[in-house]
Amino acid sequence: MASTLCVKLLPKQGWLPLTQIVRHGSKAVTRHKKPMHFLKQKLMAVTEYIPPARPIPPGVYSPRTEDCKEENPFLLFLKKEVQKVFQECKMIAVVQNNACKSEDMIILKHRLFKHGITVKLFPNQVMLSFLKDTEYSNMAPLFIGPNLLIVSKEAKAKELLTTLRATPQITLLGACIDGTLLSVQGVMSYAKLPSHTVVQGELVSGLTMLTSRTASMLQHHPNRLSALLQQHVKQEATSDGHKEGAASAEEAT
Amino acid sequence: MFPFIKSLVGGVTGICRAHAHPGPLQNHLKLLAAGLKTYEVPPDYSDVILPEKPKLKFMNKVPNLKKAKKERKRLWDIQGPARTANTFTTGKYAIVAMGGGYLHWGHLEMIRLTVNRKMDSQTTFARWRVNSPYKPITRKGLGQRMGGGKGAIDHYAVPVRYGRLIVEVGGKVELAEVEPILTEVAKKLPFPAKVMSRESLAALQKEQAEREENNQNPWTFKEIIQGNMLGIRKVLSPVDLHTNGRFTGKFILPRRV
Repeated sequence: MASTLCVKLLPKQGWLPLTQIVRHGSKAVTRHKKPMHFLKQKLMAVTEYIPPARPIPPGVYSPRTEDCKEENPFLLFLKKEVQKVFQECKMIAVVQNNACKSEDMIILKHRLFKHGITVKLFPNQVMLSFLKDTEYSNMAPLFIGPNLLIVSKEAKAKELLTTLRATPQITLLGACIDGTLLSVQGVMSYAKLPSHTVVQGELVSGLTMLTSRTASMLQHHPNRLSALLQQHVKQEATSDGHKEGAASAEEAT
Repeated sequence: MFPFIKSLVGGVTGICRAHAHPGPLQNHLKLLAAGLKTYEVPPDYSDVILPEKPKLKFMNKVPNLKKAKKERKRLWDIQGPARTANTFTTGKYAIVAMGGGYLHWGHLEMIRLTVNRKMDSQTTFARWRVNSPYKPITRKGLGQRMGGGKGAIDHYAVPVRYGRLIVEVGGKVELAEVEPILTEVAKKLPFPAKVMSRESLAALQKEQAEREENNQNPWTFKEIIQGNMLGIRKVLSPVDLHTNGRFTGKFILPRRV
């Protein structure tokens, strides 16, 4: 009994504790970053810096025409040239140049020149700045992309259309003929019109026909009356002759 | 053959002569063709006062104490941002600590010798912005068994926090003149360090202030930790209350507000 008690009370010689106390937490190491607690990692992710939206840089959405510098003397010179063209020429056609080869362009120019039509090229910037203040301002939408001007001092739409039909690289966009802005359809219908003198002759004949017709209409009734009266007089004359003849026959019998 | 060469040489010398003796008018023309150079206005150093002793002072390796006492580690004196010596006083350029750490006497000697040797003491002066080593660091001797209490004082160090100026340089100099010297020193320090001027330091502080002001995140570390939202203080350190999660120990977390 005593031996068993002694065994229970006295600690064993080779006994090791089942649970060892391990120190955590305070470490004096400052060489590296301490690993963050998971919740702190989440908190850091939530509270990250969010920069404000970048402001739109100035001049991004401003219209391109503002770039046109009026101070440039070359542009001013070109503008004067354009003004001269618009003053002198009756027909100003705007065409689009779709990668026309220089060879084809020379041929086209030559063909147009036969009819007294010339091809001119001005920068769109100059054209737009010129058109902005003038009565031709409605032409401004035509000047987008690679454009050419085909001008002539007389309105020769028919010749223009026939010449352009041979070069598919050049597309007609619109024209200003005699101060009237025309679409492509308008130009085609304009070309179908007869020449000026013919139209004038037609007009004159039409007008004279009207007057003659009114005159004839006005004279119709008196004419008819006179004709009827004449016929009546003639009939009267013939009936008198019969009567006289009958009377003489009676007298004879 | 020979007469041909002779004529060639004669022709060349003739050309040279023609170029070497131009008329007086041509001389002027040449001067005009060279163009005029506009020099930059040199900086104004009229308000700079050079101190009597422009060089860095020698620093004691060991503080002059009656009784040296062992201290605890006090790790917080390298944590977080510096509260002292974080602005310029008399100089214009400085080495600025970009993290916490300890400077030993050896580092200070290295700084002193390099800067004093390489700077021009006629035009430049340098000033310490750290004190001489005062924090005792204890070590146990080599080959000693563990236990037996705290070791003896091994050396003294200077604790440095993020944003502290180490050395300030001023005088009649521009940044480009002293930058190579200071960068050479800054590379050898035991913490990341940068050479900064008054303007660049002000710009850094201004950028940080702007970021704090323009932060689009409605959830800020400061509000969450102050309100102890979801009991998050359980996993956060009391230091985070002051630093707002910008630091972990001696390291700064970049790009945080």
